[in-house]
Amino acid sequence: MTAGTGEPVKDGAPEAPGPRTLARRRRRASAARFWREYRTHRAGLVGLAALALFALVALTAPLTVGSDVSSVTGAPGQPLETPSGEFWLGTDRFGRDLLGLVVWGSRVSLLVGLLAAALCVAIGTLVGITAGHFKGAYATVVMRITDWFLVMPTLVLAIALATVMSRSLGTVVLAIGVTSWPTTARLVRAQTLAVEARPYIERARALGGGHRHIMVRHVLPNVMPLVLAQTTLMISSSILAEATLAFLGLGDPTVVSWGGLLQDAREAGSVSSGNWSYLVPPGLAIAGVALAFTLCGRAVESVLNPRLGVAR
Amino acid sequence: MTAEAPLTAAVEAAAPAVPGPRARTTTRYLRYGAGKVAGAAVSLFAVLVTGFFLFRLIPGDPVKTMTGGRPVSAEQLDSYRREFGLDLPLWQQFTEYCGKALTGDLGTSYQFHTPVVDKISEALPNTLILTGTAFVLYTLLGIVLGTRSAWRHGGLGDRLNTGLALTLYSVPSFWLGLLLIIVFSVGIGPVPGLFPTGGMESGGEEGFAHVLDVAHHLVLPVVTLVAVEYGQTLLVARSALLDEMGGDYLTTARAKGLRDDQVRRRHAVPNALLPTVTLVFVNLGRTVAGVILVETVFSWPGLGGLFYQGLSVPDLPLVQGLFLFFAGTVIVMNTLADLVYPLLDPRVGR
Amino acid sequence: MSTSQQHGRARRRLAAATGAGALILTAGLVPQQAAAADGDKVLTVAVAQSVDSLSPFLAQRLLSTSIHRLTYEYLTNYDAEDARAVPALATKWTSSPDKLTWTYTIRSDSSWSDGERATAEDAAWTFNTMMTDPDAATANGSFVANFRKVTAPSPTELVIELKKPQATMTALDVPIVPKHVWEKVDDYSEFNNDKNFPIVGNGPFILTDYKPDSYVRLKANKDFWRGAPKFDELVFRYYKDQDAAVAALRKGEVSFVSGSPALTPAQASSLKSEKNIKVNDAPGRRFYALAVNPGARAKNGETFGDGDPSLKDERVRHALFMAVDRKTVVDKVFQGYAVQGEGYIPPRFDSYFWKPSDGQELAYDPAKAARLLDEAGYKKNGDGKRVGKDGKPLDYRVLCHATDPNDKAIGQYLQEWWGELGIGVSLNCVDNVTDPWLAGTYDLAFDGWSVNPDPDFVMSIHTCGALPATPKDTGATDNFICDKQYDELYAKQLAEYDPVKRADLVKQMQSRLYDLGYMNVMAYPNAVEAYRTDQIASITTMPKKAGNIYGQDGYWSWWSATPADTGDSGGSDSTGVVVGIVAGVVVLVGAGAFLALRRRSTAEDRE
Repeated sequence: MTAGTGEPVKDGAPEAPGPRTLARRRRRASAARFWREYRTHRAGLVGLAALALFALVALTAPLTVGSDVSSVTGAPGQPLETPSGEFWLGTDRFGRDLLGLVVWGSRVSLLVGLLAAALCVAIGTLVGITAGHFKGAYATVVMRITDWFLVMPTLVLAIALATVMSRSLGTVVLAIGVTSWPTTARLVRAQTLAVEARPYIERARALGGGHRHIMVRHVLPNVMPLVLAQTTLMISSSILAEATLAFLGLGDPTVVSWGGLLQDAREAGSVSSGNWSYLVPPGLAIAGVALAFTLCGRAVESVLNPRLGVAR
Repeated sequence: MTAEAPLTAAVEAAAPAVPGPRARTTTRYLRYGAGKVAGAAVSLFAVLVTGFFLFRLIPGDPVKTMTGGRPVSAEQLDSYRREFGLDLPLWQQFTEYCGKALTGDLGTSYQFHTPVVDKISEALPNTLILTGTAFVLYTLLGIVLGTRSAWRHGGLGDRLNTGLALTLYSVPSFWLGLLLIIVFSVGIGPVPGLFPTGGMESGGEEGFAHVLDVAHHLVLPVVTLVAVEYGQTLLVARSALLDEMGGDYLTTARAKGLRDDQVRRRHAVPNALLPTVTLVFVNLGRTVAGVILVETVFSWPGLGGLFYQGLSVPDLPLVQGLFLFFAGTVIVMNTLADLVYPLLDPRVGR
Repeated sequence: MSTSQQHGRARRRLAAATGAGALILTAGLVPQQAAAADGDKVLTVAVAQSVDSLSPFLAQRLLSTSIHRLTYEYLTNYDAEDARAVPALATKWTSSPDKLTWTYTIRSDSSWSDGERATAEDAAWTFNTMMTDPDAATANGSFVANFRKVTAPSPTELVIELKKPQATMTALDVPIVPKHVWEKVDDYSEFNNDKNFPIVGNGPFILTDYKPDSYVRLKANKDFWRGAPKFDELVFRYYKDQDAAVAALRKGEVSFVSGSPALTPAQASSLKSEKNIKVNDAPGRRFYALAVNPGARAKNGETFGDGDPSLKDERVRHALFMAVDRKTVVDKVFQGYAVQGEGYIPPRFDSYFWKPSDGQELAYDPAKAARLLDEAGYKKNGDGKRVGKDGKPLDYRVLCHATDPNDKAIGQYLQEWWGELGIGVSLNCVDNVTDPWLAGTYDLAFDGWSVNPDPDFVMSIHTCGALPATPKDTGATDNFICDKQYDELYAKQLAEYDPVKRADLVKQMQSRLYDLGYMNVMAYPNAVEAYRTDQIASITTMPKKAGNIYGQDGYWSWWSATPADTGDSGGSDSTGVVVGIVAGVVVLVGAGAFLALRRRSTAEDRE
C-alpha cells in the first residue's frame, strides 16, 4: 500500500520527533514515492501537462480575454463571421469572438466538472466509509440504496432532475453529483473494509479510539489515494455530462460553456451550412480536457494498483 | 457516454458479489439467485416510487398545459382532472398506479390519448435496432482489440489501440454525431453526402428494400455509438487478459507445445472474458438508457424522443412509464449478469 | 496442419469483413435507386412536430390539423387571396334574419374514398357527436358549445340552430368525418384513427400510412371535386432537428423545409446561395413581443400569481421599453429577417397597421429610461442596483421558451441592457411555458401571436372580458391586461360596420396599448421557409402575394404544388453512387490487404 500509515518508518532521525512530525514526514515520503512512480507513466505525464495548460488558460482568462468577451451588446464583429486575422475562429451568432468564448468557456466547464466531481466523490466517500465502518443494518440499508442508484440510468435521471429544478449551474452540478456517486461509494466501502481488517485498527480501537477517530484518522487517509484517482476520473465524466446537459438545452443559456456553445452552434445552423469553426473547437476542448483527466486518473490508478496493468 | 462510471472502475463496482468457492452446490446457487432476484424486485419497486414522485415535482399543471392555454372553464378542467385521475389525493393516485402497474397497465398518455404501454412498444423496436446493432459491434470490437492489445502489451499496436480508444471515449457522442452528419451526410467539398441526415426510414419501401433503407439510415448512428462505447469494453478486456497472462496454466499450455496464438485463443482469452461478461450485461442496459443523445442528434424515432416529449407537458404517465422501463432494463440486465457470472466462472461450482 | 487452419481462419474473417462492408455499401446505394424507380411524383416535407392524434375529434397540434385539412373537407375554406370564406363541402350558406338559424347547401360531387357519397348527414352526425359526447369535443368543442340543434333535412341541406348569434359560422374549422365509418367507434377518447389505412376521407389527399415520428404518407385524391393535386404523393418526413432538415433539403432528401417557426438567418443565407433552392422570405403575420405581467387577476376580482409590483407603475414599464434597442434585435438576432416592431399589428395588414407618432414613441434611450426610474422612486443603491419599494433589488424573471433560440438570444441582450439600468434579469427558459404563463408566475415573458386578416381575435385577448372567470378557469386573456379605455374602444369597433371607421378604432386601440407599455412589440419576424425548385416548380403561398407556405389555413400550398421536370435530378444521385462505390471498394481492399498482411506477418513471426 502506498500511503502505509500503519507501517513503521525507519528513517533514523537523531532526535525523537513528535508523532505529528512523524506522520507528516511519512506522508511526504509516500508522496515522493507516488510521484516517482507516476513519472514513469508517459500518458499520465502528457495528461498532467495538458491539464496544467487548460488550468492556466482558465485561470488567466480574465487577463487574456476578459469577461467582456461574453458581452452580447459589446460584440466586436458581425454575427457568424468566418475566421479571419481579427477573429481566428470567426464569430458566434452574436458577433462575439469565438476563440475568446472557447477560452472563457473553459472556466465554466472546468468549474462545473470540478464541483460536480467533488460533490459526487464527497457523497461517495461519506457513504462508503460509514457503510464500511458501521456494518449491520445501517450498512445493508445504505448499500441497498447505493446499488439502486447504481442501476439508475444516469442520463435519464440527470435530465429529469434538470427539468424539475430551474436551469442554472447549480442544478447541473447537483444533477451530475447526485446521479454518479454510487461507484465511488462501492469502491470506498471495499477499501474501508480492507483497511479496517488490519491489526492497527484493532489496536486503535482497544486504545479507546471512537468511531469518528477511526474513520477520520485511520480509514480516511488510507482511502484518500483511491478517492484521488476516482475524483480525477469522475471530473472527466462530469465535464462530459455538463456538456451533454448544456447541449440538450438544460443548462443556463446565459452562461458561456463549451456544451452551451455547441448547442448555440447547432441552433444557429452550423451543421447544415458546414460551419466548422463554430462546431469543432468547443468539442475538441471538451474531448481534450476529458481525455487529459482520464489519462491522469488511469496513471494514478495504476500507481496505486499496478495489477490493473495500465499501459506505461 | 457521459456521467457513467469511469472506465475500469465501473467493472469493479458492478462486479457481483460472487458467492465464490463456497457456492459449490446447486442449492447454494439457487439461494444466491433467489436473493439477487428479490433484490432486483425491491429495486424495481424503488424505481416505481421514485418515478412516481420525482416527475410530480416538475412544475406545471398537465391539464392546463394539455388544453394549450385556450379558454377553458374550471368545470371542464376539473372533468379532465377526473379523467386523468389527478383529482384524487396523491397517496391514492400512487396506490392506484402501483396496482395497475402490477397488471402491466401504465396508464394512458395525456398528449397521445394512447396507452403508455402501446406507445413504448411502438418506439421500443426502433431503439432496439439501433442499440442492438451498436451493442454487438462494439462488444466484439472491444473484445477483439482489447485481447489483441493485451497479448502484445506495451508494443506500438497496443499503445495506438488504447490511445485511440481512450480518445474516442472522451469525445462527446453528440458532437461526434454532428461531425459525422456534416462529413458523410451533408458532404464536404467534392464528397457528396452518402447517408441520410436523420430518421430511421424513408417510408414507402417494402420487404428487402425496406431492410436496406433502414440499414442505410442506421450506419451513422451506429458508428457514433460504437466509436464512443467500444473503448470501455476494450480496456476491460485488455486488463482482464493482462491479469490472466501471469497464470501458471498458460506456461503449462506453452510447455505442451501449443503455439502462442493457440494459447491465447484457447486458454487465456476464454478466461479473461469472464469479467467482461459482467460489463457486457451492464452495458446493454446502460446503452438502452444512454441512447437518448444519439437518438436526438439523428432524429431516431425511439424511446429517447418520446421521453423528451413527455417531459415538456409533463405527460406524467408517459415519463413514469419510460423511467420505469429504462431503469428496469438496467436492473434486469444487472441481475442477469449476477446470475450468469457464477455459472460461467470455472472456479465456481465445477 | 496448423498453418492451413490459420489461413482458413484468416480467409473467413476477410470474407466476413467484406460481407459487412458490402452490406453497408449497398445500403448506401439502393434506396435512392428504389425511390427513383417508380415514376410517381413525390413531394416530401420535413416536419418536426409529433402527431398528437389523427382523430379529428382529438387532434390539436398544427401538423395534425393540417393533415386533417388535407384529408377531410370542412364546410368552408379560406381564400388564398384574402382569406375570406369560400365554398368547400358547403357550396353556399344563408342565415335567418335573427342570425340564429344557418342553412348550408352541401355539394353533391364530393365522395368518400371508399366510394360513398359525402352528404349533409355526415356533417350533422359529426356536429351532433361533438355536442353529445364530451370525448369528441376535446379538440373543437368550442365551435359547437353554442349549437342548439343540428339537422340534415336532405342530403344536400344542413341546418344549424344556435342559442345565440355566433361570428364563426363561416369559419367552422371542424373536419367532417364519414358517419358510416365513425359511428362504429365506441370510445372517442382513445380512438386515434391510425390503424386502418387508407383512412377514409374526402379531401385533396388520402392518408395511406403513418408511423409515429417517422413519416406520414398521403396519396393524391384523383376524384377530388376541386381537381386532383399535381403531385401523386405527399410525405411528411420527420427531422426532429431543424438543422438536419435543412441539410436534408440541401441534399434533396426533402422538397420543403419550414422551420419552426422559421429558418435561422444563417440557414436562410446559406440556402440562398444554393442553385436549386428557393428561400421564401415572406413578411410575417406574427408579432414578437415582450409582455409584462400586470398582476394576474380573474373577473371575480381575485388576484393570483406573483408578478413584481413595480411593474404596475407605467413609468417603470416605459423605462423598460426604452431600454430595449429594437434595431439591434432586428439586425443582430434576426439578421434582417424581420421588420422592426412598432404598433401591435404587423405592417403586412396595412389597413390596420399603426405606428406611434414622434412624441409618443418610446424610442431606445437608456438615459431617459434611467431618469424615469429615478422619478418613479426606484433609485440605485450602493451596488448600483435599483431597489424596489420593499427594499430589495429589482430582479425580473423573464419567461422564455427553451426551444426558441431567439428568446434565449434576446434574453441575453435584456440582461445587459437592463443590467446597465441597474435592474437584474433572470432568464427562466422552460419547455412548458403555458403553465407559469397561466398561473401568472413571471414578471415578463416573450410573447407572439399570428395575426389574422381580421384582427378581432388578437385585439380581444387584451380586454377585461378575456380574463378568466376565477383563478381556476383558463381565460382567453394573453397577459391579464384589463384597461377600461381600451375596452370601450374594443366595444365600439365591434359595433362598427364601416371598414374605415373600424380600422381607425383599431388603430386607437393599438395606440392605447402602446401607451400602457404592457406589450413591447420588438419585431415582426418573417416567415422564412425554403423549397427545392428542381422538385417543386410552383406553389401557392397564402396570401398569394408574399405569403407563407407551411401552416396555411387552407390546403392551397400542397394541393397547388406542381412537380418540376426531374430530368437531371438523378444526376447527383448517380455521382453519389459512383463515389460511394469507389470509396467502398477502396476501404474494402485496404481493410482486406491490412488483415491479410497482418495475418501473414503474425504467422511468420511464430514459425
